[in-house]
Amino acid sequence: MLRVSSETTERNCDLNMVNGVSGEVSDIEFGVELMHFAGSLAESLADGDEEALDLARKELQQVAGSDVLVDAAGVAGNFQRMVRIADAMGIPVDSMDNEMSNEIRKDLNLYRFHTAENSAAQE
Amino acid sequence: MPYFEYDNSPYAIRDDIKIAHRTYWARLARAGSWWTGQERVAIAMEVRNARQCDFCRERKQALSPYTMTGNHQRTTDLPEAAVDAVHRVVTDQVRITRGYVENNIDAGLSEEAYVELVGVVVMLISIDEFNRGLGLPPEPLPDPVAGEPDHYRPPRLVRDTGFVPMLPRDGAEGNESDLWSGTRTANVMRALTLVPDALRDWMMLASAQYLSLEGMGNFVKQEGRAIDRMQMELIAGRVSSVNECFY
Repeated sequence: MLRVSSETTERNCDLNMVNGVSGEVSDIEFGVELMHFAGSLAESLADGDEEALDLARKELQQVAGSDVLVDAAGVAGNFQRMVRIADAMGIPVDSMDNEMSNEIRKDLNLYRFHTAENSAAQE
Repeated sequence: MPYFEYDNSPYAIRDDIKIAHRTYWARLARAGSWWTGQERVAIAMEVRNARQCDFCRERKQALSPYTMTGNHQRTTDLPEAAVDAVHRVVTDQVRITRGYVENNIDAGLSEEAYVELVGVVVMLISIDEFNRGLGLPPEPLPDPVAGEPDHYRPPRLVRDTGFVPMLPRDGAEGNESDLWSGTRTANVMRALTLVPDALRDWMMLASAQYLSLEGMGNFVKQEGRAIDRMQMELIAGRVSSVNECFY
Protein backbone atom coordinates (compact mmCIF):
# COMPACT_ATOMS: atom_id res chain seq x y z
CA MET A 1 0.00 0.00 0.00
CA LEU A 2 2.88 2.35 0.80
CA ARG A 3 4.47 1.60 -2.57
CA VAL A 4 1.17 2.11 -4.41
CA SER A 5 0.53 5.37 -2.62
CA SER A 6 4.07 6.52 -3.40
CA GLU A 7 3.67 5.71 -7.09
CA THR A 8 0.20 7.24 -7.28
CA THR A 9 1.40 10.53 -5.85
CA GLU A 10 4.80 10.38 -7.61
CA ARG A 11 6.67 10.90 -4.38
CA ASN A 12 9.76 9.11 -3.14
CA CYS A 13 9.60 6.72 -0.26
CA ASP A 14 12.23 4.48 1.26
CA LEU A 15 10.27 1.35 2.13
CA ASN A 16 12.91 0.42 4.70
CA MET A 17 11.28 2.98 6.97
CA VAL A 18 8.77 0.28 7.90
CA ASN A 19 11.71 -1.57 9.42
CA GLY A 20 12.65 1.50 11.44
CA VAL A 21 15.45 2.66 9.15
CA SER A 22 15.30 6.43 8.64
CA GLY A 23 14.74 7.04 4.95
CA GLU A 24 17.43 9.12 3.30
CA VAL A 25 15.27 9.71 0.26
CA SER A 26 11.70 10.11 1.34
CA ASP A 27 9.01 12.66 0.58
CA ILE A 28 6.80 11.66 3.48
CA GLU A 29 6.13 14.72 5.56
CA PHE A 30 7.07 14.09 9.21
CA GLY A 31 8.09 10.61 8.07
CA VAL A 32 10.80 10.07 10.67
CA GLU A 33 8.61 11.28 13.52
CA LEU A 34 5.66 9.16 12.35
CA MET A 35 7.96 6.15 12.08
CA HIS A 36 9.25 6.68 15.62
CA PHE A 37 5.76 7.16 17.02
CA ALA A 38 4.30 4.07 15.34
CA GLY A 39 7.29 1.95 16.27
CA SER A 40 7.38 3.02 19.88
CA LEU A 41 3.63 2.44 20.30
CA ALA A 42 3.90 -1.11 18.98
CA GLU A 43 7.13 -1.88 20.86
CA SER A 44 5.92 -0.49 24.16
CA LEU A 45 2.84 -2.72 24.17
CA ALA A 46 5.30 -5.59 24.45
CA ASP A 47 8.18 -4.14 26.45
CA GLY A 48 6.33 -1.53 28.54
CA ASP A 49 8.72 1.27 27.60
CA GLU A 50 6.24 4.11 28.02
CA GLU A 51 9.05 6.68 28.19
CA ALA A 52 10.03 5.98 24.60
CA LEU A 53 6.40 6.39 23.58
CA ASP A 54 6.09 9.66 25.53
CA LEU A 55 9.17 10.98 23.77
CA ALA A 56 7.97 9.95 20.33
CA ARG A 57 4.56 11.49 20.99
CA LYS A 58 6.08 14.82 22.03
CA GLU A 59 8.44 14.78 19.07
CA LEU A 60 5.59 14.21 16.60
CA GLN A 61 3.26 16.71 18.24
CA GLN A 62 5.96 19.39 18.22
CA VAL A 63 6.79 19.12 14.54
CA ALA A 64 3.41 18.13 13.11
CA GLY A 65 0.75 19.35 15.54
CA SER A 66 -2.09 17.75 17.43
CA ASP A 67 -4.31 16.83 14.50
CA VAL A 68 -1.55 14.77 12.90
CA LEU A 69 -0.82 13.11 16.24
CA VAL A 70 -4.47 12.15 16.75
CA ASP A 71 -4.81 10.70 13.25
CA ALA A 72 -1.51 8.87 13.63
CA ALA A 73 -2.71 7.32 16.91
CA GLY A 74 -5.87 6.21 15.14
CA VAL A 75 -4.02 4.45 12.33
CA ALA A 76 -1.46 2.91 14.68
CA GLY A 77 -4.24 1.58 16.93
CA ASN A 78 -6.01 0.21 13.90
CA PHE A 79 -2.99 -1.80 12.82
CA GLN A 80 -2.30 -3.10 16.31
CA ARG A 81 -5.64 -4.78 15.63
CA MET A 82 -5.14 -5.88 12.05
CA VAL A 83 -1.92 -7.77 12.68
CA ARG A 84 -3.61 -9.74 15.45
CA ILE A 85 -6.58 -10.66 13.28
CA ALA A 86 -4.23 -11.97 10.58
CA ASP A 87 -2.08 -13.99 12.97
CA ALA A 88 -4.84 -15.30 15.24
CA MET A 89 -6.74 -16.58 12.20
CA GLY A 90 -3.67 -17.83 10.34
CA ILE A 91 -4.60 -16.22 7.06
CA PRO A 92 -2.16 -16.15 4.13
CA VAL A 93 -1.45 -13.03 2.12
CA ASP A 94 -3.74 -12.57 -0.87
CA SER A 95 -1.04 -12.03 -3.46
CA MET A 96 1.75 -14.59 -3.19
CA ASP A 97 1.87 -14.72 -7.00
CA ASN A 98 2.25 -10.96 -7.37
CA GLU A 99 5.81 -10.23 -8.48
CA MET A 100 5.98 -6.68 -7.12
CA SER A 101 4.66 -7.72 -3.71
CA ASN A 102 7.10 -10.60 -3.51
CA GLU A 103 10.00 -8.33 -4.38
CA ILE A 104 9.02 -5.94 -1.61
CA ARG A 105 8.78 -8.81 0.88
CA LYS A 106 12.24 -9.98 -0.09
CA ASP A 107 13.71 -6.47 0.00
CA LEU A 108 12.30 -5.88 3.45
CA ASN A 109 13.31 -9.37 4.60
CA LEU A 110 9.78 -10.15 5.74
CA TYR A 111 10.35 -13.89 5.32
CA ARG A 112 12.18 -13.76 8.66
CA PHE A 113 8.81 -13.50 10.36
CA HIS A 114 7.37 -16.65 11.90
CA THR A 115 3.94 -15.97 10.38
CA ALA A 116 5.34 -16.22 6.85
CA GLU A 117 4.64 -19.92 7.34
CA ASN A 118 0.90 -19.22 7.14
CA SER A 119 1.36 -17.98 3.58
CA ALA A 120 3.99 -20.51 2.56
CA ALA A 121 1.60 -23.29 3.52
CA GLN A 122 -0.85 -22.04 0.90
CA GLU A 123 1.60 -22.00 -2.03
CA MET B 1 -22.47 7.06 32.02
CA PRO B 2 -21.37 8.82 28.86
CA TYR B 3 -18.25 7.23 27.43
CA PHE B 4 -15.44 8.66 25.33
CA GLU B 5 -16.14 12.32 26.01
CA TYR B 6 -12.37 12.93 25.86
CA ASP B 7 -12.90 16.01 28.04
CA ASN B 8 -9.48 15.65 29.61
CA SER B 9 -7.66 15.15 26.35
CA PRO B 10 -5.14 17.89 25.52
CA TYR B 11 -5.85 17.13 21.87
CA ALA B 12 -9.10 17.61 19.98
CA ILE B 13 -10.49 14.19 19.05
CA ARG B 14 -12.47 13.93 15.82
CA ASP B 15 -16.19 13.37 16.36
CA ASP B 16 -16.29 10.31 14.12
CA ILE B 17 -13.69 8.62 16.32
CA LYS B 18 -15.69 9.40 19.47
CA ILE B 19 -18.85 8.03 17.87
CA ALA B 20 -17.12 4.85 16.71
CA HIS B 21 -15.70 4.20 20.17
CA ARG B 22 -19.06 4.81 21.85
CA THR B 23 -20.82 2.61 19.34
CA TYR B 24 -18.46 -0.22 20.06
CA TRP B 25 -18.77 0.16 23.83
CA ALA B 26 -22.53 -0.31 23.45
CA ARG B 27 -21.94 -3.38 21.26
CA LEU B 28 -19.37 -4.78 23.67
CA ALA B 29 -21.81 -4.66 26.57
CA ARG B 30 -24.49 -6.68 24.76
CA ALA B 31 -24.58 -10.39 24.05
CA GLY B 32 -22.87 -11.38 20.84
CA SER B 33 -23.32 -14.57 18.87
CA TRP B 34 -21.45 -16.89 21.23
CA TRP B 35 -20.74 -14.92 24.42
CA THR B 36 -23.01 -12.98 26.80
CA GLY B 37 -22.46 -9.30 27.46
CA GLN B 38 -20.95 -10.16 30.82
CA GLU B 39 -18.50 -12.55 29.18
CA ARG B 40 -17.60 -10.06 26.45
CA VAL B 41 -16.81 -7.39 29.04
CA ALA B 42 -14.78 -10.02 30.93
CA ILE B 43 -12.81 -10.70 27.73
CA ALA B 44 -12.14 -6.97 27.54
CA MET B 45 -10.88 -7.00 31.15
CA GLU B 46 -8.49 -9.82 30.32
CA VAL B 47 -7.11 -7.81 27.40
CA ARG B 48 -6.00 -5.23 29.93
CA ASN B 49 -4.74 -7.87 32.38
CA ALA B 50 -2.57 -9.47 29.70
CA ARG B 51 -0.19 -6.53 29.59
CA GLN B 52 0.63 -7.03 33.27
CA CYS B 53 0.76 -10.83 33.16
CA ASP B 54 4.09 -12.28 34.37
CA PHE B 55 3.33 -15.69 32.89
CA CYS B 56 2.76 -14.13 29.45
CA ARG B 57 6.07 -12.28 29.80
CA GLU B 58 7.94 -15.49 30.67
CA ARG B 59 6.21 -17.44 27.94
CA LYS B 60 7.08 -14.83 25.35
CA GLN B 61 10.76 -15.57 26.05
CA ALA B 62 10.34 -19.33 25.78
CA LEU B 63 11.56 -21.10 22.67
CA SER B 64 8.15 -22.69 22.30
CA PRO B 65 5.05 -21.14 23.89
CA TYR B 66 3.38 -24.55 24.01
CA THR B 67 5.74 -26.27 26.43
CA MET B 68 5.30 -23.90 29.37
CA THR B 69 2.69 -24.26 32.06
CA GLY B 70 1.71 -21.58 34.52
CA ASN B 71 -1.04 -19.30 35.68
CA HIS B 72 -2.15 -16.11 34.00
CA GLN B 73 -2.76 -13.00 36.07
CA ARG B 74 -6.50 -12.83 35.67
CA THR B 75 -9.42 -11.05 37.29
CA THR B 76 -12.34 -12.81 35.64
CA ASP B 77 -14.02 -16.18 35.90
CA LEU B 78 -13.78 -16.90 32.19
CA PRO B 79 -12.79 -20.48 31.32
CA GLU B 80 -9.03 -21.06 31.35
CA ALA B 81 -8.89 -21.69 27.59
CA ALA B 82 -10.56 -18.34 26.97
CA VAL B 83 -8.22 -16.45 29.29
CA ASP B 84 -5.23 -18.08 27.63
CA ALA B 85 -6.52 -17.20 24.17
CA VAL B 86 -7.07 -13.56 25.12
CA HIS B 87 -3.61 -13.22 26.66
CA ARG B 88 -1.99 -14.99 23.73
CA VAL B 89 -3.62 -12.76 21.11
CA VAL B 90 -2.48 -9.68 23.05
CA THR B 91 1.06 -10.74 23.86
CA ASP B 92 2.24 -13.52 21.51
CA GLN B 93 -0.04 -13.68 18.50
CA VAL B 94 2.67 -14.57 16.00
CA ARG B 95 3.03 -18.03 17.51
CA ILE B 96 -0.63 -19.02 17.37
CA THR B 97 -0.95 -22.18 15.31
CA ARG B 98 -3.68 -24.26 13.74
CA GLY B 99 -2.96 -26.93 16.35
CA TYR B 100 -3.56 -24.46 19.16
CA VAL B 101 -6.93 -23.43 17.76
CA GLU B 102 -7.92 -27.08 17.22
CA ASN B 103 -6.83 -28.08 20.72
CA ASN B 104 -8.93 -25.30 22.15
CA ILE B 105 -12.03 -27.04 20.84
CA ASP B 106 -11.24 -30.01 23.09
CA ALA B 107 -10.71 -27.56 25.95
CA GLY B 108 -14.23 -26.19 25.44
CA LEU B 109 -13.45 -23.14 23.32
CA SER B 110 -15.30 -23.68 20.04
CA GLU B 111 -14.10 -22.11 16.79
CA GLU B 112 -17.10 -19.79 16.84
CA ALA B 113 -16.39 -18.67 20.40
CA TYR B 114 -12.70 -18.25 19.54
CA VAL B 115 -13.48 -16.01 16.58
CA GLU B 116 -15.82 -13.80 18.57
CA LEU B 117 -13.28 -13.66 21.39
CA VAL B 118 -10.57 -12.55 18.95
CA GLY B 119 -12.98 -9.98 17.55
CA VAL B 120 -13.48 -8.47 21.01
CA VAL B 121 -9.77 -8.60 21.83
CA VAL B 122 -8.70 -6.76 18.70
CA MET B 123 -11.36 -4.08 19.06
CA LEU B 124 -10.23 -3.44 22.62
CA ILE B 125 -6.63 -3.25 21.54
CA SER B 126 -7.44 -0.83 18.77
CA ILE B 127 -9.35 1.54 21.04
CA ASP B 128 -7.02 1.21 24.03
CA GLU B 129 -3.98 1.72 21.84
CA PHE B 130 -5.49 4.89 20.41
CA ASN B 131 -5.81 6.24 23.95
CA ARG B 132 -2.36 5.03 24.99
CA GLY B 133 -0.84 6.56 21.89
CA LEU B 134 -2.16 9.91 23.02
CA GLY B 135 -1.10 9.39 26.63
CA LEU B 136 -4.72 9.07 27.77
CA PRO B 137 -5.97 6.51 30.31
CA PRO B 138 -8.06 3.60 29.06
CA GLU B 139 -11.81 4.20 29.08
CA PRO B 140 -13.74 2.49 31.91
CA LEU B 141 -15.43 -0.63 30.57
CA PRO B 142 -19.20 -0.60 30.11
CA ASP B 143 -21.64 -2.37 32.39
CA PRO B 144 -22.82 -5.60 30.76
CA VAL B 145 -26.36 -5.78 29.42
CA ALA B 146 -28.39 -8.92 30.12
CA GLY B 147 -29.18 -11.17 27.18
CA GLU B 148 -28.30 -14.43 25.52
CA PRO B 149 -26.05 -15.07 22.49
CA ASP B 150 -27.97 -15.68 19.25
CA HIS B 151 -25.67 -18.54 18.08
CA TYR B 152 -25.84 -17.21 14.53
CA ARG B 153 -23.65 -19.08 12.06
CA PRO B 154 -23.58 -17.99 8.40
CA PRO B 155 -24.84 -20.72 6.06
CA ARG B 156 -22.10 -20.44 3.43
CA LEU B 157 -18.89 -21.20 5.29
CA VAL B 158 -15.87 -22.94 3.78
CA ARG B 159 -12.66 -24.26 5.24
CA ASP B 160 -10.21 -23.27 2.53
CA THR B 161 -7.57 -21.18 4.29
CA GLY B 162 -6.52 -20.07 7.74
CA PHE B 163 -7.34 -21.83 10.98
CA VAL B 164 -11.15 -21.52 11.03
CA PRO B 165 -14.09 -21.64 8.60
CA MET B 166 -14.76 -18.40 6.70
CA LEU B 167 -17.14 -17.08 4.10
CA PRO B 168 -15.88 -17.71 0.56
CA ARG B 169 -15.05 -14.73 -1.62
CA ASP B 170 -18.47 -14.99 -3.25
CA GLY B 171 -20.20 -15.59 0.07
CA ALA B 172 -21.29 -12.07 0.94
CA GLU B 173 -24.98 -12.66 0.24
CA GLY B 174 -28.21 -12.96 2.18
CA ASN B 175 -27.67 -11.79 5.75
CA GLU B 176 -24.02 -11.19 4.87
CA SER B 177 -24.61 -9.08 1.76
CA ASP B 178 -23.45 -5.94 3.58
CA LEU B 179 -19.95 -7.31 4.28
CA TRP B 180 -18.45 -6.70 0.85
CA SER B 181 -19.52 -6.29 -2.73
CA GLY B 182 -19.36 -9.19 -5.19
CA THR B 183 -16.15 -11.18 -4.83
CA ARG B 184 -13.93 -8.19 -4.15
CA THR B 185 -12.51 -8.90 -0.72
CA ALA B 186 -9.33 -9.93 1.07
CA ASN B 187 -8.43 -12.69 3.50
CA VAL B 188 -8.19 -10.21 6.36
CA MET B 189 -11.84 -9.36 5.77
CA ARG B 190 -12.86 -12.99 5.47
CA ALA B 191 -10.92 -13.87 8.63
CA LEU B 192 -13.65 -13.18 11.21
CA THR B 193 -16.69 -14.03 9.08
CA LEU B 194 -17.57 -17.10 11.11
CA VAL B 195 -19.01 -14.36 13.35
CA PRO B 196 -20.13 -11.69 10.86
CA ASP B 197 -20.76 -9.05 13.54
CA ALA B 198 -17.05 -9.20 14.42
CA LEU B 199 -16.23 -8.05 10.89
CA ARG B 200 -18.96 -5.40 11.03
CA ASP B 201 -17.42 -4.06 14.23
CA TRP B 202 -13.94 -3.77 12.76
CA MET B 203 -15.18 -2.15 9.56
CA MET B 204 -17.04 0.44 11.62
CA LEU B 205 -13.99 1.25 13.72
CA ALA B 206 -11.55 1.16 10.80
CA SER B 207 -13.67 3.75 8.99
CA ALA B 208 -12.93 6.20 11.79
CA GLN B 209 -9.40 5.28 12.84
CA TYR B 210 -8.06 4.41 9.36
CA LEU B 211 -10.18 4.29 6.22
CA SER B 212 -13.58 3.08 5.12
CA LEU B 213 -13.73 0.32 2.49
CA GLU B 214 -14.58 2.96 -0.10
CA GLY B 215 -11.73 5.16 1.13
CA MET B 216 -9.24 2.33 0.60
CA GLY B 217 -9.24 3.14 -3.09
CA ASN B 218 -7.99 6.66 -2.44
CA PHE B 219 -4.19 6.57 -2.40
CA VAL B 220 -3.77 10.32 -2.04
CA LYS B 221 -5.64 11.75 0.96
CA GLN B 222 -9.08 11.34 2.45
CA GLU B 223 -11.00 14.52 3.14
CA GLY B 224 -11.14 15.49 6.79
CA ARG B 225 -7.92 13.73 7.71
CA ALA B 226 -4.72 15.42 8.88
CA ILE B 227 -2.43 12.80 7.36
CA ASP B 228 -2.26 11.57 3.77
CA ARG B 229 -2.26 7.99 2.56
CA MET B 230 1.52 7.66 2.41
CA GLN B 231 1.78 8.77 6.01
CA MET B 232 -0.97 6.30 6.97
CA GLU B 233 0.73 3.42 5.21
CA LEU B 234 4.09 4.24 6.78
CA ILE B 235 2.45 3.98 10.21
CA ALA B 236 0.64 0.79 9.20
CA GLY B 237 3.83 -0.76 7.87
CA ARG B 238 5.90 0.18 10.90
CA VAL B 239 3.34 -1.21 13.37
CA SER B 240 3.06 -4.40 11.33
CA SER B 241 6.83 -4.78 11.14
CA VAL B 242 7.31 -4.42 14.89
CA ASN B 243 4.58 -7.01 15.35
CA GLU B 244 6.40 -9.30 12.89
CA CYS B 245 3.26 -9.55 10.77
CA PHE B 246 3.93 -11.13 7.38
CA TYR B 247 0.39 -10.46 6.16
